Amino acid sequence: MLRHLGNITKMDPVELKMLKRRTDIATLVVLAVVALLVVRLWQLQIQHGAEYLKRSENNRIRVQQLAAPRGNLLDRHGELMVTNRPRFNVVWIREDAPHPDEVIKRLSRLLELEITELLDRIRAGAQQPHFIPTRLKEDIDWSTLVRIENNSYNLPGVRIEVQPTRDYLYGNMASHLVGYLGEINRPELSELRRQGYRPGDMIGKMGLEKLYEPYLRGEKGRSYVEVDVRGFAQKQLQVEEPLPGNDLQLTLDLELQRLAEEALTDRAGAVVVMEVDSGRLLAMASAPPLPLESFTGGISSRIWRGLLEDRRAPLLNKPIQGQYPPGSVYKIVSALAALEEGVITPETTHFCGGSIVYRGRRYHCWQRRGHGQVDLEKALAESCDVFFYQVGKELGVDTLAHYARLLGLGQPTGVKLEHEKGGLVPTAEWKRQKHGEPWQLGETLSTVIGQGFNLATPLQIARLTAAVANGGRLYRPQLVSAIYDPEGQLLEKFESELTQHITAIRNSSWETLRRGLEEVVAGERGTGRAARVEDLRVAGKTGTSQVVRLSLLEEFATDEDIPYRYRNHAWFTAFAPVDDPRIAVTVLVEHGGGGGSTAAPVAGTIFEAYSRRLPASTATQATETSPATNDASPPPEPAEDGGP
Amino acid sequence: MLRFDRRLLQNFDWVMVAAVLLVGLLGLLNLYSASSLDRELGSAVFVKQLSYFLLGFMVILVITLVDYKVLIKWNYPIYGLALFLLLAVLLVGGEVAGTQRWLNFVFFRLQPSEPAKLALVITLASYYYRKDTGKGFTIKELLLPIALAAVPFGLIIMQPDLGTGMMLGFIFLSMTLFVKLKWSAILSMAGAAAAVIPLGWKFYLKPYQQERILTFLSPDSNPLGSGYHITQSKIAVGSGTTFGKGYMEGTQAHLDFLPERHTDFAFSVWAEEWGFIGSLFFLACYFFIILWGMNIALTARDKFGVLLAFGVVSLIFWQATINLGMVLGLLPVVGMPLPLFSYGGSSLLTTMAGIGILINIRMRRFMTP
Repeated sequence: MLRHLGNITKMDPVELKMLKRRTDIATLVVLAVVALLVVRLWQLQIQHGAEYLKRSENNRIRVQQLAAPRGNLLDRHGELMVTNRPRFNVVWIREDAPHPDEVIKRLSRLLELEITELLDRIRAGAQQPHFIPTRLKEDIDWSTLVRIENNSYNLPGVRIEVQPTRDYLYGNMASHLVGYLGEINRPELSELRRQGYRPGDMIGKMGLEKLYEPYLRGEKGRSYVEVDVRGFAQKQLQVEEPLPGNDLQLTLDLELQRLAEEALTDRAGAVVVMEVDSGRLLAMASAPPLPLESFTGGISSRIWRGLLEDRRAPLLNKPIQGQYPPGSVYKIVSALAALEEGVITPETTHFCGGSIVYRGRRYHCWQRRGHGQVDLEKALAESCDVFFYQVGKELGVDTLAHYARLLGLGQPTGVKLEHEKGGLVPTAEWKRQKHGEPWQLGETLSTVIGQGFNLATPLQIARLTAAVANGGRLYRPQLVSAIYDPEGQLLEKFESELTQHITAIRNSSWETLRRGLEEVVAGERGTGRAARVEDLRVAGKTGTSQVVRLSLLEEFATDEDIPYRYRNHAWFTAFAPVDDPRIAVTVLVEHGGGGGSTAAPVAGTIFEAYSRRLPASTATQATETSPATNDASPPPEPAEDGGP
Repeated sequence: MLRFDRRLLQNFDWVMVAAVLLVGLLGLLNLYSASSLDRELGSAVFVKQLSYFLLGFMVILVITLVDYKVLIKWNYPIYGLALFLLLAVLLVGGEVAGTQRWLNFVFFRLQPSEPAKLALVITLASYYYRKDTGKGFTIKELLLPIALAAVPFGLIIMQPDLGTGMMLGFIFLSMTLFVKLKWSAILSMAGAAAAVIPLGWKFYLKPYQQERILTFLSPDSNPLGSGYHITQSKIAVGSGTTFGKGYMEGTQAHLDFLPERHTDFAFSVWAEEWGFIGSLFFLACYFFIILWGMNIALTARDKFGVLLAFGVVSLIFWQATINLGMVLGLLPVVGMPLPLFSYGGSSLLTTMAGIGILINIRMRRFMTP
């Protein structure tokens, strides 16, 4: 290869002479530049050196960083949910007040703080360069501010810093989604320093505040203040105003979110309201809420411990992190599997005598007296367990699991939030790996009614319900619809995202299922009657999932006697309007008792609020005349629903 | 392929190695002081720069092993790779302060505009070497080199990085004026430049860049806005007076008045702490490298060596001139590191590769081609 290049030529003398001349010219240019630089250095350092030295000694321009107001959070109609308010901090600049004893004494009086506490703060800031302000007290009130300003002539080095802080217009609304801010910590700082973060900056620690930090944070500004030798500000030289962060428009609907949270007051649980044809979340509540205000400026360890020890687990974002046995809600999956696999037709009936015996064990229906002859519609409406035991025997656990996965269970929904859980869809293989034991056929009977090993999050159930309503389309649940810059210009718009379209399931199966689910609410003995709304056709399913073995509960005479942690979880999931589905609502109340009595009314409230906004044409008269399938049943009982 | 001749070792350019080592050590010394304000960041930066420096010597060693004339053939692949990296940085590059200049590799953040400068030098040297008829280039023959410079120029301008983009222009001009041109070619290029520059001012330059240039023309009109950097740098340099404030004693640098003090404004820290005497010493060391490089160009065994060496020297020279001019308040503020001295791995490794090419040319000056 090199030989090929052997034609490289030695230079002839004429050319060499020309190149030499050019190199000489270049050398002259270089020398001229050197001379110029030397002259300039002489000019700066020798001729004007004394002058510049003096200027450097008097160079007492303080550059103060001005924190940018974070972007606002808006609801889907553009209503403000979270914004900013100014917060006044007292800061002290060491370099400007070299002998601070007097100052500290005065400050301690003005701020009503112990001297030792002030000294602790000062010591903590001692590692910083001495021109960097140390915060002595955050968020002082108006009267303290006035007192400090009035005394500023004998408080050298003390300044007031204005820092925007979060203002939660609706208290703890959507607290788990909004998340909170905290002072940047060391690991975050070393990672993000390049992006302009400095010690003392606030940064999103959880929820949307954390996930959308780059959009929300804005750009810091600077204020240049000239100070004299004694540390008093002489004049404001220039202010580069900070650039506010971008606004997030959420998909949430303020009113529905508020209703959902109110319904969960003093309870633990979750409510999810999802738009059926887009996956947008109109409400996603987790109870109890996080006390957002107590997180600003660092949460006290006492409050933190209280949150950790609360049996209602306020730190858990239940719609996506709470994993619960789905209970009878799971019968939606079982019914669909049975129809598709040809195990039953809409006309198939089974006899429910209150229990069946399978492989030497008795399996009860929640209705101990039995439901008599039951077809699918009635089995759904009255949540007959025996009917589904029969179905389950024929389906087998792995077929059930196939349909559960098809409907999005057992895997995270992909909503853009942190730490989403995936739930659990048991299979024979799973049990062999996890427990080292083969699958017991009896366990299929628990699985088919949503007990046993099954686990699901409320968000998964909401998405599943939406898929039933829209004929098998699973959307990625969406929380943020758009981002706007501070001037209100649209920066980014997030379209809905179809993750999967289940085409394998026949239309007739969806139809049959939806008819059964409407009976749950509309039927005379439907377990979800408490979710009925005037002028709106609602279809849903109740669920009451057991936390402990039934025999344990039988020791207690009344429901009130059952200890909190033994009580059943109450589920209800539904969509409406049936003929033109718009929203799906899923309610879970931890240890709330019966799904029909506790969870269904919550959904009812939300549907009612929603129906008031629907144009009259879509809110059709709820059909009270249900098909006469339950003629043979015993007289109505208070709606109660439950697993075996 | 590796015919290693004993004479290569005898002729190895120890002078250049020593000069580079000296300037590099001054740079590290200065970096330690400049970054000491922030202890945590400081030591990380220092260790990084030290390891890039050591890596740079390995680059020199590798480059000197192969005869530089292979570059005649490899110019387009090298050029293509540089373009690819520049394209990649626009598509997937990491964003710093609104500009996309970085490609993140696992252990290294590459700034592809740095190696692109060297790739342009190699490709222009190769082109002019191959096409030179001795009668002087016509404007038509210059169209390809103009395009070769314009494409990476455009890509870098889009990042946007005006300083580095201009650098490519300086390299192109230096190398093109170095070869023999026809007068018609010179006149038409001058005419084109006169037409393009006002358009560039109007349509490409962002308001803040225009402001910087205007500020430079009268810096005291806006001492806190874009004049702030120039003013603070001048105070730093000037306050060093004759003997300087002493190592680690620079108040301007340590009080955080100086922006970018470990990268673009590294020399003002040096001038503040070591004064006029120290600055002269530094300039002597630094420009020795450039003049020595010029001598390498002059004594190269063939014309390709002359062109290549001249290109590398012009690369280092223009960066140094622009950087020092900016630090001393003679030129407007553009982002431009001082090769071998400022902090930054991409710039250091590129410069060391260039030095490797110079040593390569030097040690083969007596070899028969």
